[in-house]
Amino acid sequence: MSAMWRIAREEWRLWARSRVVLLAGLIIAVLIVVTSVLTALRVTAEAERRADRQASAEATFFAQPDRHPHRMVHYGHYAFRTPPPLAAFDPGVDAVTGQSIFLEGHRQNTAMFADTRAGADLGGCAALTPANIYQLLLPLLLIVIGHGVVLRERESGTLAVLLAQGQSGRAIAGGKALALAGIAGVFLLPLAGLALFTAARAEASQASAAAALVAGYGLYLAVWCALVLAVSLWVRQRSVALGLLVLIWLLVALIVPRVAINTASAMIDAPGKIESDLVMLSQQRKLGDGHNAADPAFDALQKQVLEQYEAQSVEELPINWRGVVAGYSEQKLTAMMNAFAEDRMRREASQSRIVTWFGLASPTLAIGAASRTLAGTDLATHHRFLRESEGLRFDFVQGLNDLHAKALTYADDAARSTDSAAEQRTRVNAASWRLLDAFRFAPDPAEVRAARALLPLMVLLGWLVVLGGAIGAGARRLRP
Amino acid sequence: MTPTLEARSLVVMRDGAAVLNDVSFAIAPGEVFALLGGNGAGKSTTLLTFLGFLQPTAGDVLVAGRSVGDDVEAARAKIAYLPEAASLYGHLNAYENLGYFLDLAGRKVSRAALDAALDQVALPTEARQRRMQSYSKGMRQKTAIALALLRDTPILLLDEPTSGLDPVAIDEFHAMVQALAAAGRTVLMVTHDVYGACQVADRVGLLRGGRLVGSFAASDAGGRIDTETVHAAFAAREAA
Amino acid sequence: MNALLREARFLAKDRGAVLWIVLALLLSAAATGFGIAEVREQRQTIAALLAEDAKDRANAISKHDAWGDAAYDAFHLTYAPPSDFAFAALGQRDTAPWLHRVRMLSLESQIHEADTANADFGLIGRFDFAFLAAAVAPLLLILLLHDLRAGERVAGRHDWLVASAGTPRRLWLPRAGVRFGGLALALLVPFWIGAAIEGAGFGAALAASALVVGSLAAWWAIIAVVGRRNASPPALLAALVGIWLMLALLIPAAARAGIEAAVPVPDGAEILMLQRDAVNDAWDKPKAATMTPFLARHPEWRALGTVEKPFEWKWYYAFQQVGDQQAEPIVTAYRQGRLARDRAAGWAALLSPAALTERGLERLAGTDTRAMIAYEDRVRAFHARLRAFHYPLFFRDPPYDPVVLDGLPRYDPAP
Repeated sequence: MSAMWRIAREEWRLWARSRVVLLAGLIIAVLIVVTSVLTALRVTAEAERRADRQASAEATFFAQPDRHPHRMVHYGHYAFRTPPPLAAFDPGVDAVTGQSIFLEGHRQNTAMFADTRAGADLGGCAALTPANIYQLLLPLLLIVIGHGVVLRERESGTLAVLLAQGQSGRAIAGGKALALAGIAGVFLLPLAGLALFTAARAEASQASAAAALVAGYGLYLAVWCALVLAVSLWVRQRSVALGLLVLIWLLVALIVPRVAINTASAMIDAPGKIESDLVMLSQQRKLGDGHNAADPAFDALQKQVLEQYEAQSVEELPINWRGVVAGYSEQKLTAMMNAFAEDRMRREASQSRIVTWFGLASPTLAIGAASRTLAGTDLATHHRFLRESEGLRFDFVQGLNDLHAKALTYADDAARSTDSAAEQRTRVNAASWRLLDAFRFAPDPAEVRAARALLPLMVLLGWLVVLGGAIGAGARRLRP
Repeated sequence: MTPTLEARSLVVMRDGAAVLNDVSFAIAPGEVFALLGGNGAGKSTTLLTFLGFLQPTAGDVLVAGRSVGDDVEAARAKIAYLPEAASLYGHLNAYENLGYFLDLAGRKVSRAALDAALDQVALPTEARQRRMQSYSKGMRQKTAIALALLRDTPILLLDEPTSGLDPVAIDEFHAMVQALAAAGRTVLMVTHDVYGACQVADRVGLLRGGRLVGSFAASDAGGRIDTETVHAAFAAREAA
Repeated sequence: MNALLREARFLAKDRGAVLWIVLALLLSAAATGFGIAEVREQRQTIAALLAEDAKDRANAISKHDAWGDAAYDAFHLTYAPPSDFAFAALGQRDTAPWLHRVRMLSLESQIHEADTANADFGLIGRFDFAFLAAAVAPLLLILLLHDLRAGERVAGRHDWLVASAGTPRRLWLPRAGVRFGGLALALLVPFWIGAAIEGAGFGAALAASALVVGSLAAWWAIIAVVGRRNASPPALLAALVGIWLMLALLIPAAARAGIEAAVPVPDGAEILMLQRDAVNDAWDKPKAATMTPFLARHPEWRALGTVEKPFEWKWYYAFQQVGDQQAEPIVTAYRQGRLARDRAAGWAALLSPAALTERGLERLAGTDTRAMIAYEDRVRAFHARLRAFHYPLFFRDPPYDPVVLDGLPRYDPAP
């Protein structure tokens, strides 16, 4: 143990005296700090802005004057997806998906105005977030610093001296591993600080998610340290080792993730919203138009309602037949829209699962999936936002349809297009708009997120075990 | 007669220090000149200056009567250079290595001529098709010597040519150098091997601290330079 | 020529270098193959939707007996088909919509609808030829060329080789050139095959090839300058990877953040809220509040512009348009802001060969921001034609005759 410690300390001293290592480390450290501060400021401001927007959307809805309830169905409402605290580290899909949804009757809109649509296009990998620096740049730094940990000793002949002095290959490999792990540990500190900071500002459940996030990145950096050490042990020449590691980085960090996307998109066809809407619309036409109570599609409903109220015609009903139809068709339509939406989300989720399984070939993909999940900025969280906002939409629309059926008379409602007095009587008191529920989007509880992140974290652990085996084998056969 | 290689009051500075300081010599066609010196005496620097890789700070180097600086390319075309510990490409075999270097020098040589040169340096036939990474140090040196022969240039610059060769191969090499000189080639070799220098050279120059401090000619000594004399001079100067 | 042949033979024996070139070939084949598959799928989607769209519209129209109802229910498919070059650079097609179904209602409530694929796709990005050529190829070139001189220096062959060749140029230029050419060909041959399969224009393929070779040449120059230094191959490689990181990743990212801070774009959500309030408030306002601004824009309907009943279709569609009119300033600012950001990005890309290449390929493929905004403009123009077609029917209100609707404007995707 003391030998390992000695070897590691020697390595640190060497790095501390190397201008290249210090400069590279300093650049990465500055990048981490600058992007962390900028991203944290941006995300915090964005979270406040969206929370304000959500509150003001509710206030606007309540402030609407007396009107026909169906008008409020079309007036609609907004749901905003407020970013969770850890989005300050990994904003995830927030920039790509829209941040708000317009909620109205008879329609499920998409989340609109994603940041990327108004962004300056400077090519493929032009977004810098703290998460990206940890996922892409830190491994590169470990490669540049660490590719020679064993090879330098081999090329300068000191490896022979060390081995001849009776140091075991294991002790040497262990010391070098310790040295690399020390560097990785130092660079984990800013993330730990950020996690601590967010955890302190948020509720307790965020703290365990933040801790899991730090642990996940620790695992990821450990995988890279192990990879660098394994290559340094097995390859005979320093220039070959560095070339090989840069190639592995290129494949693992840039190419495999994108190939995973291509593969997922080719394997599972997830139709876009407009495409599936069109298919749905032609089905919907068969359901009948909820605006037209005379649509023959509602004959069966009419018969049933007339029987229930023992009435002969819709005019005799104690409730407004038009409102009944509106509520009935909204319910039918929503069931169909949800079926389509669920299908689309299921396809997207299976696509993302394929991408996650590509983590077997790329630890960068695995940590990316785990990081977004733990931060609460993954696709599943966005899907939950879509589901919750749909629930909000359905509830207020049906509340209004209920008003439509109970607070209005059928005669007035039928005559309102042509009779101004009747039109006045169909206006409902604005106090009724209070039926709208308050909506505050929050990510899943930490346990749920941690459970979801388990698969990619296990993949990372698998990587570490395999590489650990390679290091062990390489250390046993270590010769000068 | 114009000397083939000539150094005139040559001074070469590297990193602020004079590596060669006022060195002058001239080598006639068909002559073998050995520059003898210890580590850091400026031997390799002399060769690199003749090849135009280093520029004289003062003085001049001439190849066939023409300053190297005037036309480096023309000077190099006349010279076959054998570097110290010449390493050919490990992933190529002997034929491929020779073919590549000769091609680079603008020479097309038949397979038979390659074999003839490799025979001359006694590289085993069965080794010639093997990749050179499996060669011993001596085999590599032999292949490099064969390359110098195949260049068929009027001048040979040899940097420690016998290092890595066994005693028999050294003798064969010296015979070969003398045969080449007899055929009119000019040979400048640098070495720290006193015995070898005296055996093969027509003249030996003693280089120390960048200065030419002694010269021994075979013609002065009745056809053969006396090893003991040179060794004594070399040792005395080194000790000083 | 002779020298190139010599170096080509030499390269063929160098397993390390051949590995990088074969890798480039495989990656290029994969990128091209994936690109073609994606583009084909998008074309199939459009073809299927076109058939479905016509059927659905006919079905919708057949159920109505008034111009206003028919217009309300009839959707019209608009689309931006992928160009025959889009397989090489899918660009903004993963984040910006290339399909919209619009109808006679307020356009602003429809045109911002996002039809994006899986969010993970937009986040991670696709592996297409543009990404390969812009970001990955330079790194492969660095791996291929960084130790050209330093490797020979370490092996003790440098001076020997140069002395044999006579001049350095006669050695390094063909040696680097053959590797450069090998890499360029490995990248371009699959791309050319893809372009031939897709029937991409010769001019575009040529321009793209020139762009790729040109940007690689810029990288070559950088590598040559750094590679001249008397340092060990690993030190050179580390320095070059650092430069690559700077030029391909950090400068574009910093420029992007800078541009987005310097060139503000109005919050898109404002457009929707403004438009929604305008449209919904119209129900409660006097009819004149709608008809006055509408008739100011359309004086030709002044004579028929009085609304007597609580509900008339011409008033209904008039306030849809007035809603759009009210949002116009902010819509214009949103459009201009995006264009200004794109222009600024174009200038910033001059600092990064990677960004320049990717943007150039997207431009050639018609998948850049300008092309996506141009598609929006075409949707707007089409919607204006829809309105021009319907307004005479709403205002003059001739007896309903579905045959007239056979003359509905058709969307033309051609730019």
